[in-house]
Amino acid sequence: MTTSPHPGPAAPSASPHPLRVGIVGTGGISRAHLPGWRELGAELHCFSQAGATEFAAESGATVHDTLEELLAAVDIVDVTAPTPAHPEIVRAALDAGKDVLCEKPLALDPAEARELVEHADRAGRTLFPAHVVRFFPQYAAAKRAIDTGAVGTLAVLRFERTGALPDRSWYADEELSGGIVMDQMIHDIDQALWMAGPVERVYAQQAIAGSDSTVRTAHVVLTHRSGALSHCRGFWGPAGTAFRYTFDLSGDGGQLQYDSAGDAGIVFDDVASARQDSGDGFLPDVSTLRDPYAAEIVEFATALAGGAPSRVDAADGALAVQVSHAALESLRTGRSITC
Amino acid sequence: MLTARTIDPADPMKVALMSCAHTHAAGYASQLEARADVDLVAADPDGYGDVRGVRVVPTYDAAWNAWAEGPDAIVVTSANAHHKDLVLEAARRGVHVLCEKPLATNLPDAEAMVEACREAGVVLMTAFPVHFAPEVKALRTAITDGTLGEVIGLTGTNNGKLPAGRDWFTDVELAGGGAMVDHTVHLAEILDSVFGPPATVHAVTNRILYAERAGEGAETGGLVTLTYDTAGSRIVATIDCSWSLPADAPTWGGLRLQALGTGGQLQIDAFAQHVGGHDQWLAYGTNTDARLLDAFLGAVREGRAVDPTGEVGLRTVRVVAAAQESVRTGQPVALAGA
Repeated sequence: MTTSPHPGPAAPSASPHPLRVGIVGTGGISRAHLPGWRELGAELHCFSQAGATEFAAESGATVHDTLEELLAAVDIVDVTAPTPAHPEIVRAALDAGKDVLCEKPLALDPAEARELVEHADRAGRTLFPAHVVRFFPQYAAAKRAIDTGAVGTLAVLRFERTGALPDRSWYADEELSGGIVMDQMIHDIDQALWMAGPVERVYAQQAIAGSDSTVRTAHVVLTHRSGALSHCRGFWGPAGTAFRYTFDLSGDGGQLQYDSAGDAGIVFDDVASARQDSGDGFLPDVSTLRDPYAAEIVEFATALAGGAPSRVDAADGALAVQVSHAALESLRTGRSITC
Repeated sequence: MLTARTIDPADPMKVALMSCAHTHAAGYASQLEARADVDLVAADPDGYGDVRGVRVVPTYDAAWNAWAEGPDAIVVTSANAHHKDLVLEAARRGVHVLCEKPLATNLPDAEAMVEACREAGVVLMTAFPVHFAPEVKALRTAITDGTLGEVIGLTGTNNGKLPAGRDWFTDVELAGGGAMVDHTVHLAEILDSVFGPPATVHAVTNRILYAERAGEGAETGGLVTLTYDTAGSRIVATIDCSWSLPADAPTWGGLRLQALGTGGQLQIDAFAQHVGGHDQWLAYGTNTDARLLDAFLGAVREGRAVDPTGEVGLRTVRVVAAAQESVRTGQPVALAGA
């Protein structure tokens, strides 16, 4: 944007080339990443098995026919493809010398997730798992307060995440998405790890409605090495379920509580809200927040440019996969699993 | 129909409140004292001295002998470990019983109490006041009438401060344990009333909260995860039983329960009704103690069992015992015959 009434030669840019980013996978979450890249003034490229043309029309991205062609044209790769495709794309991008932002989970298999971390180390590139909840200001505020001792020693943590099943068939296929634990709850497992530290035991239970298999809930109980206990509760509700997230963190010096449903900065009455677009229940409404997706992308780019390190690194992404995988093993065996 | 003594409808019921050890004793005493249909005596063998405005006697014997023919009913508000002796004595005397929760500190005691009262033909009711909260009733109704569709998950929280003024609450010998014993059974009773007993119980505990004040070995934080098998499908429920409310909070604690189904979500807060303000908590909700006592006295007069029964109390003790076993073994416990 220019405010000059006398257009002249463009001022020299601080960076001679705009950042060139290649978005691989152009489904729902890729749209959430767009504002961040736009904020950075990035030049957009994309490649996808499906929907690349529509995405390009919306975003102005340059469409590539192959992953190789995209990798040759960009500096950074943003992996927003379905989960099972993550490892192969990440490896190809690292091998091409690119830094990589990858949606969570990094991989479904913990060994493969760890291997991706090592792969990035060997390649000398940065792999950044998109644990966006760390960039939600409510969680970031709680984390800062915990780190400064505001609630003393953490004892019992509860996290809830509620939404509708994403309207894309691969999410409902546990083999592809890892189910509600690996896809949705991994956010809260990552929060528990971030706030209360490493975990030594994991117990999980899941219930899937017999009358509607898209409606399901999972409970995961984590025993942290510190002695703290965490409860994560995920829910993919029936059609029309609004996105909601809560936490309740108790320490021996106080409590921190948040409920997005009680975050009433803007309240429409029933008449007015019936006329509002209520969203799809798949992603949270972040319109009143500093966009957490943009914040993570800007923080990633800043870290790459030699600025402050990011609050999440590849090892964090692999650890979240490891603990989530232990939860899946607990679901399968009915046993408490030692991590 | 129960076989024990019947009470002349024209006479006030002779009721002995057995011990002032429980923090609920004062509330029950004032409710009972206010009733024209009850003649109340309260035993205070520990000498707490803070149940006032009623006829207080210094020993259990004095309470048993306060009337020539003895009491018609007793309300047991002693430390948990002493419930058993009082209830067995009541059964021996053919006296009806309302017993504080948890019914007992271990499973054999609870089984003996239920069996003795069954054989004696006396009412044994377990004191779960929140059973009578309209919010809890609304939840039971929404589940049983199908409003919530197929229910698949529940999360309950019964969080409070460390019980103050009565140290036995955190004495493992007298209370049977800590927060998990104190705060699991209310929610377990609500779940039992809708789904029956759980199939599996898993629990983890710690003692980080109030670690300086809690009795030795008493857990102050805990998460109890239950599964219920109903009509071929599974329900998962977790109870947070922690004493996690900070000591300077404006109220003692509360009880919340959220149910998730194919028909949507319901959350209840049994202690939500209050007038607030900075550091203010003016509760105005239903007096569930009064409803509990009313149900008990009615059952005694009519000679019939009443929910929550002693059997329900026993089943919730079984849940706690399984939770304690799970804490010891680190693994979930399957409840036989569930």
